[in-house]
Amino acid sequence: MPAVKPKRNFPMMDMTAMCDVAFLLLTFFILTAKFKSQDAAEIETPSSISGLKVPDKDLMQISIDKDGKIYFGIDNMNTRIAMLDNMGEAKGLTFTDKEKKAFALQSNFGLPLEQLKGFLNLPGEQQKAFKQPGMPVDSTAQNDLALWIYNARKANNGLRIAIKGDNLSKFPAFKDVLGALQAQNINKFNLVTGTEAPPAGWTSDK
Amino acid sequence: MSEIQQGGGGGHKKGGKVRSKKASTRVDMTPMVDLGFLLITFFILATTLSKPSAMQLNVPDKQKDEVKTDPIKASKVLTLYLGKNNVVHALDGVAPDDEEAKTKMKDVSFGPDLRAMITASRTRINAANPEDKEGAFVCVIKPLKNSTYKNMVDALDEMTITKTKRYALVDLLLQTDKDLLGDKLND
Repeated sequence: MPAVKPKRNFPMMDMTAMCDVAFLLLTFFILTAKFKSQDAAEIETPSSISGLKVPDKDLMQISIDKDGKIYFGIDNMNTRIAMLDNMGEAKGLTFTDKEKKAFALQSNFGLPLEQLKGFLNLPGEQQKAFKQPGMPVDSTAQNDLALWIYNARKANNGLRIAIKGDNLSKFPAFKDVLGALQAQNINKFNLVTGTEAPPAGWTSDK
Repeated sequence: MSEIQQGGGGGHKKGGKVRSKKASTRVDMTPMVDLGFLLITFFILATTLSKPSAMQLNVPDKQKDEVKTDPIKASKVLTLYLGKNNVVHALDGVAPDDEEAKTKMKDVSFGPDLRAMITASRTRINAANPEDKEGAFVCVIKPLKNSTYKNMVDALDEMTITKTKRYALVDLLLQTDKDLLGDKLND
């Protein structure tokens, strides 16, 4: 008698449960997703134990990179265009629709005003590669930052202000930004920081 | 791996009725799982994971006329000069123009050292001024121009950690401060 050949059974796993889990997670991530924005500069913020969250909308963000260059951005595209219109009005510049469209896509920018038109007319890839020189905040000569802040608030008065500084940026850069804000009577703002665990045993008073 | 099992074996064939073979309704889920995880991976990588937190900072109004208040006694003030290389020059309860200021100035580093220093100073000053119910201790933070933004945030954070209610961020350096700090100011 020939030996009984065992029936070859491929091991099979039921994938339904795994599939359920995968799509559950997927749904979760899609719903909570907030995409990284393309910023003009990479900024590593210091961390603090503050439990407050940065507001989601109506946010004006002033960034200071590690060389002390200053970038400015607001989160809403419509406000961006309104801000650009205000800025053009104040400075006697007119922007074409194409330029406005390009400007609406900038999550933040750090350019002197006179370079802005040229920058907006660059094709997309070149814009990304362009090294932005930072916004001038000299209190005596040219203070573009103060102008932008003014015109942004004119476009949307409810903007909240966040300052995002790099670990390595020097204090004078921050002082300049502070000066531009204080000169316009803005005395309340947020510093964007990473989150860090408070020391053991620490409890908040609130 | 993805074989679909058919039917229930050959046991039934003996009976008279020939049953039509039932087609299996099981679908192989493997590609779907693959797709699911691929998308998950994409979303994980494309999202900002931890939302940054915000530190509220209120600065005094520059344009308002200053209400005249009595100057705070130097003995109630801990002054922190944030200097180069993450060093804090701390002046505890001494005015910068005091003769002893130079010898009493201590260099501390950020973290536990600074925290211990603030706590010790607060305990001492509050104990020395029991008439002030809310605590007499005032901390003044003066970042020098060679300090970094991180130093400032750390120092402000330290105020939250030590629950110091009265503190001020001052960027103005008086002549007495400059004399005291000397070359620490510029190097």
